[in-house]
Amino acid sequence: MLSDGVDDTNRLVAFHRPALAAMPLDLYYCITSPFCRSVLLTAKALGVELNLKEVDIWAGEQHKPEYLALNPEHTVPTLVDGSLVLWESRAICTYLITKFGKDDALYPRDAVIRAKIDSLLYFDIATLFPRFKTFVASQLGGKRDATYEEKKEKFFEGLNWLERFLSRGNFAAGTDHITVADMVLVPSVTSLAESGFIPDEYTRTHEWVRRCKDGMVGYEEANGEGARLVGERIKRMISSPA
Amino acid sequence: MPDFYYAMVSPPCRAALLTAKAVGVNLNLKTIDLSKEEHKKPEFLAINPQHTVPTLVDGDLTMWESRAICTYLASQYGKSDSFYPSNPKTRARVEHMLYFDMGTLYKRFGEYAYPVVFRGEQPNPEKLESLHEALGWLNDALAGHDCVLAASVSTFEAGGIDLGRHSRVATWLANCKTSLPGYDEANAPGAAIFGSFAKPALSK
Repeated sequence: MLSDGVDDTNRLVAFHRPALAAMPLDLYYCITSPFCRSVLLTAKALGVELNLKEVDIWAGEQHKPEYLALNPEHTVPTLVDGSLVLWESRAICTYLITKFGKDDALYPRDAVIRAKIDSLLYFDIATLFPRFKTFVASQLGGKRDATYEEKKEKFFEGLNWLERFLSRGNFAAGTDHITVADMVLVPSVTSLAESGFIPDEYTRTHEWVRRCKDGMVGYEEANGEGARLVGERIKRMISSPA
Repeated sequence: MPDFYYAMVSPPCRAALLTAKAVGVNLNLKTIDLSKEEHKKPEFLAINPQHTVPTLVDGDLTMWESRAICTYLASQYGKSDSFYPSNPKTRARVEHMLYFDMGTLYKRFGEYAYPVVFRGEQPNPEKLESLHEALGWLNDALAGHDCVLAASVSTFEAGGIDLGRHSRVATWLANCKTSLPGYDEANAPGAAIFGSFAKPALSK
């Protein structure tokens, strides 16, 4: 009965799945970017094959005309799945899970759990990571600018909230198993950690990172190496004059 | 009935109000006066240590982040999926817009307008251009109605941002005003209040 849009789509996807499975998705990415590493972790968890295309954002490759034609906002990651060109990493992660997940474990359909997960995805994009970025920017080249103290306070305020959120359960959304909230937060948090910005006393945060490392498929390839690379880069940016 | 802590001037609050109207859920409205720092009072901090509005309490679910509240209300109370389609690709495009609003569009507006309006700083022309850059991307991408974006963009308009530079945005917003359920109650007054003090400050 072709009465429900969702059923129609599912039927079409099932019909075309052999063809779709043969066509890997393109992911434009840069390994230092935590937002890209979230997508890599999610794809690993789902067993989804990605055709990886590197964009060196430090060399400005995202501003090349070919890339701007694809994504006028010149951000990474960008996903191409047939006719769908998608950016905003968190929307990419949830899209991959919704489309390719064999079950809803990574992004439960229960409205309440999902709301808690979604809140954390927004916390990452608008609070935790931006406060880290601006805190780093206030102390480049070994010099602390006029906003350093204010940025430091904001940064640790965000970190304190994270530590508090992580005391609700084994994983970020208060769940006993890994969800997309962990996939999105752990690349950001490990970027902070590898840059030396998370003191030892943030024990819940450090323990949660260890649990993610142990539990996430392909962690080292999808996140570990990239976090270390960006950590080294940020340490250099802070200590040596530009 | 969920408790909804909010401030009328705040676009994220109005996005959630518009969504509640759209999916037909009644909210127990509790005003938080940001200018009196009511969001930093102990009673509110006990509910939301991040002291942001909007905050929703629905039974044993306490949550904040307006866009997550919008999608929660649509998922939990929507009778159909028209405001938050379940088709993966369509939903991905909707979520893209929510993150674009939070991380780029509304963010750039805040970076331009809020230091001027709330801290008395001088308007920064570079930050204004950055906002117009984001509006340009919106102009290119627009399709259909949207609660979250309408709350943000109507606020820009009230603050005196020239939407005439982005013809599709202007047309789309005019459409939202007549077609989004309960727009006059959920969004128009708050945008007007914001404009009353923001527009003079930003036109310095």
